[in-house]
Amino acid sequence: QTKWDLAAAYPATNFHSENMAQLASDVDKATGGKLKITVHANATLFKAPEIKRAVQGGQVQMGEILLANFQNEWPLFGVDSLPFLASDYEAAKKLHAAQKPFLEKKLAEQGMLLLYAVAWPPQGIGTKKPLASAADLKGIKWRTYSPATARLAQLLGAQPVTVQAAELSQALATGVVEATVTSGSTGVDSKLYEHLKYYHDTQAWLPKNAVLVNKQAFDALDSTLQQALLKAGADAQARGWAGSIEVNTDSVAKLKAHGMEIVAPPPAALMADLTRAGQTMLKEWLDKAGPEGKALIEAYRR
Amino acid sequence: MRRLLNGLYDGAAALAALFMVCLLGMVLLSIISRQLQFHVPGTDAYAGYLMAATGFLALAHTLKRGEHIRVTLLLHALPGRMQRAFELWALAIATLLALLFALYSCKLAWQSHVFADISTGNDATPLWIPHMSMALGSVILAIAFLDELVLEVMGKRAPAHRDAALHSE
Amino acid sequence: MSDLAITGLLILSLFLILGSGVWIGLTLSGVAWIGMQLFSSRPAGDAMAVTIWGSASSWTLTALPLFIWMGEILFRTRLSQDMFKGLAPWVQALPGRLLHTNVVGCTIFAAVSGSSAATCATIGKMTLPELARRGYPEHMVVGTLAGASTLGLLIPPSITMIVYGVAAEVSISQLFIAGVLPGILLASLFSGYIMLWSLRHPQQVPAADMRMSFMQKLSASRSLIPVVLLITSVLGSIYTGLVTATEAAAVGVVGALVLSSVQGSMNWGTFKQSLMGATRLYCMIALIMAGAAFLTLSMGYIGLPRHLAQWIASLGMNQAQLIAALALFFIVLGCFLDGISMVVLTMGVLMPTVQSAGIDPIWFGIFIVLVVEMAQITPPIGFNLFVLQGMTGRELPWIARVALPMFLLMCVAVVLIYLFPGIVTWLPQQMSAR
Ligand code: NA
Ligand code: NA
Repeated sequence: QTKWDLAAAYPATNFHSENMAQLASDVDKATGGKLKITVHANATLFKAPEIKRAVQGGQVQMGEILLANFQNEWPLFGVDSLPFLASDYEAAKKLHAAQKPFLEKKLAEQGMLLLYAVAWPPQGIGTKKPLASAADLKGIKWRTYSPATARLAQLLGAQPVTVQAAELSQALATGVVEATVTSGSTGVDSKLYEHLKYYHDTQAWLPKNAVLVNKQAFDALDSTLQQALLKAGADAQARGWAGSIEVNTDSVAKLKAHGMEIVAPPPAALMADLTRAGQTMLKEWLDKAGPEGKALIEAYRR
Repeated sequence: MRRLLNGLYDGAAALAALFMVCLLGMVLLSIISRQLQFHVPGTDAYAGYLMAATGFLALAHTLKRGEHIRVTLLLHALPGRMQRAFELWALAIATLLALLFALYSCKLAWQSHVFADISTGNDATPLWIPHMSMALGSVILAIAFLDELVLEVMGKRAPAHRDAALHSE
Repeated sequence: MSDLAITGLLILSLFLILGSGVWIGLTLSGVAWIGMQLFSSRPAGDAMAVTIWGSASSWTLTALPLFIWMGEILFRTRLSQDMFKGLAPWVQALPGRLLHTNVVGCTIFAAVSGSSAATCATIGKMTLPELARRGYPEHMVVGTLAGASTLGLLIPPSITMIVYGVAAEVSISQLFIAGVLPGILLASLFSGYIMLWSLRHPQQVPAADMRMSFMQKLSASRSLIPVVLLITSVLGSIYTGLVTATEAAAVGVVGALVLSSVQGSMNWGTFKQSLMGATRLYCMIALIMAGAAFLTLSMGYIGLPRHLAQWIASLGMNQAQLIAALALFFIVLGCFLDGISMVVLTMGVLMPTVQSAGIDPIWFGIFIVLVVEMAQITPPIGFNLFVLQGMTGRELPWIARVALPMFLLMCVAVVLIYLFPGIVTWLPQQMSAR
C-alpha cells in the first residue's frame, strides 16, 4: 500500500476541495486501496505560496495551486488571469487547451506533472456604490492580491490596496477596502454581502486551480496505479468544470439572496474601460512572456 | 576568539534591531501610501521578511543573554555532579537540533536560488534573499550553542546574566 | 503502529526532552522531527525549513513584535507609572485593589490586539513591576495576568476567530460581535475571583494609599490621559478605516514614541533599551513559534488530531455529550498544541459533525475560542506561560499552577455559555436583525 499526501489551501467545503476528496476516493476504489491519497485542505500542511515548492521538493506527492499565483516566476502561469482574454467557460476551456502543452513542458522541467486543472467561476467586481464607468473607481481603495490585480487597479485609476484574505472582512467593514475583484463563489465564501452592496458580473477572467504531482513519486508507482491516477484525474477535470459552472450560477444567486444587487450585464461604458485595460495588460504580458507567450496566444486564437 | 564570537552575536542582534525599525517603517509606509494614494507594491511581504530577519538574527544574542526559556526545575533539583551531566546532555541535544535547523535553513536558501523560487506576491522578490536571514541566524545560533557546549565541557560557562524583568530593571 | 502508541511515544519524548532542560522551541522541533521521521513517509528537514520560514514571515503576525515593542516603550518611560497613578484611586476601594489593573488593562488592550501573547507581554510589562513594587503577592499578580491576557482572543479583533471563521465559513464580523459579551463575562469572573480571594486573605493585600476625595481622584486621573490617548488613537485608527487590525500595532509604537517624547521620558538610551528588549523578547517567542509550526506540520502528516476528531465524530453522541467530549478533547489537545494549530488541524473533520448535531456555528466559534484560551495557560505548551516565564524568570510549573484558578474560571465560562447561549448569540442576532 502506498500513502500519498495532497496539500491544498482552500477550505474543505470549497468545490475544488470536494472534487479532490472525490478524486482520492475514486483512486482508492480503482486501486483496491493500494494507493491512498490524504487530502489536507485548508492549508493544514503548507500555505498557498509554499505548495508548488513542496511538490517540487517532494515534501508532498501532490498539491493544488492557483496557477496565476506563480506568474512572477513565469508569465505563462498567469495567462488565465488576463482580463477579457477568455471570459466564459467555452473560451476558458479553449485557453486551457492552448496553455496546457506549455504548462506540461515547464512543469516537467521542474520535476512535476499536471494531473488536471479546473477553472474558478468568472471574476466580477464588488463595490459599495454602483459603477457606471471606470471613472467611478477613481481613488477607490481596491483590494489586490496579486501583481495582475494591482496592475488592473492602476489602469482603472483605483488605489491598489494589499489586504490578505484573513483581514478582508474587517477591512471591508471599516472601509480600508472599498472594492474587490473576485469570483462569485469566493464572494459567497468571504461573505461580501455583509459589507458591499453591488456585484458587477463582469466575467472578466476565469483563473484555474491545478493539481500537480511530483514526477519522481509518480514514476515510483507501478503502471496500473499510474493509469488509475491519470484516469481519476481526467474524471476530476470533467467533473470540476461542470461543478464550476453550477457553483457560478448558485453563488451569484446566493449573493442576490443575501441582498446584493447583481449588476448584469454591467454598463457598456464600464465594460469598454475594462476591455481597454485588458488590452493594455495583454500587451504588457506579451512583452514579458516573449516568443512562448506569443505562440500561446496564437494557438488560442487559432 | 572570545571577542570575535561575542562580536558576531551582538553584531547580528544589532542588525536584528535595525530590521525591527525597518519593519515599523514598512508597516507605516503601507498605511501612508494608502492614505496619500500612491502605490508601493509588496509592503506586506517586505514586512514579513523584516519580521523574520528580526527574529532569526537575534537568536544567538538572546541565547547568550539567557532569555530563551527552558524548564530547569528538574535540573536544579539534582545534586551538583548529576546537574552538570544533565546540563551537558541538554546542551548536546540543543546543539544537535540547532545544527539540523542551520543545515536545512541553508539548504532552503540554496534551493530557492537553484529553483529560482520567486515570491508570489506583489513584491516578486527572489526568495533566496530573505531566506538568507534564516540561514545566517540559524548558523550563528548553532555556533552559539557549540560555544556554550565547549565552555561547559571546559567548566568555564558563566551562568547567563539575564536581568529578571521584575526586579532589576 | 497504533495511534495510541504513537501518541504515547511522542508525549514521552516531549516530557523527556523538555524535562532535561532543552530550550522549549528546540524541544518542539525535536519532537516534531522524531514524529515525522518515524511515522510519516516524508523526510523531515526540508519540510521543516519551508514551514518555519512560512510562519516566521507571515504578515498577520507582524503585529506581535510591534506590540511587544510598544510595551517595552511604555514600561521604560513614565507612561506606565502614570497609568497606575491615575487608575489606583478608583480601584483602591475594591477588594483586591490594584490587582484589578491586570484585568482592566488586558480587557482594554484586548480590544486593540488580536493575540494573547501580545496582550500578555504589553500589559505585563506595565503591571508586573508596578504591582511587585507595591507588594502584591506574586502568585496573584502572575496568575491573574496569565488568565486575563487570554482575553486578547475573545474580545475582537481576534486572530483565532479569523482562523475559525475561514475554516468553518462563518461570518468573521458576527464572530467578533459574538465575542464581546462572553469577553466581559470572563473579565467579570476574573475580577470576582480577585475580590473573593482578597476577602479571604485580607492580610496579603497591601494597604490602600491615603483616602482621596472625589475631586482629588478626578485630578489624579489626569495622569491617565496619555495612555487613554494612546489606546483611543489605536482603536480609532482601526474603526475609522485608517488601518487594518494588523497595522494598528505600528500606530501603537509611533503613539508610544510620541507620547513619551512629549513627556520628556524618552531619550536615546531608553529608545535603544526598548528596542533591544523588544527584539529579544520577540526572538524568544519566535523560536518557540518556529518549533510549534513544525510540530503542527508533523501532526498534520501523522494525522493524530484528525484521527482523534474523526473518532469523536463517529461516536454518534447527542448535543450535550458532543460538547462535553469536544471540550475535553480540546483541553487535552491544548496542552500540547497551540490554539490556532488545534483549530486548523481539526475543523475540517469536526465541522460537519457539529452542524449535524444542530450546534450554532457562531456559538461553537466562541466555544472554540474559550478552549483555545485555556490552551494558552495549560502546561507543558502554553504561550502565555512562556511569555510570563520570559518576563518573570519563574519556572513553568509554578506559573501554570498560579494560573490554574483562571483555567477553572474559563471552564465555568464554558458551562455558562452552554446554559445561557444567549450570552453569545444575542448581540449577533441584534446586528443581523437590524
Ligand atoms: Na482582541
Ligand atoms: Na497549553
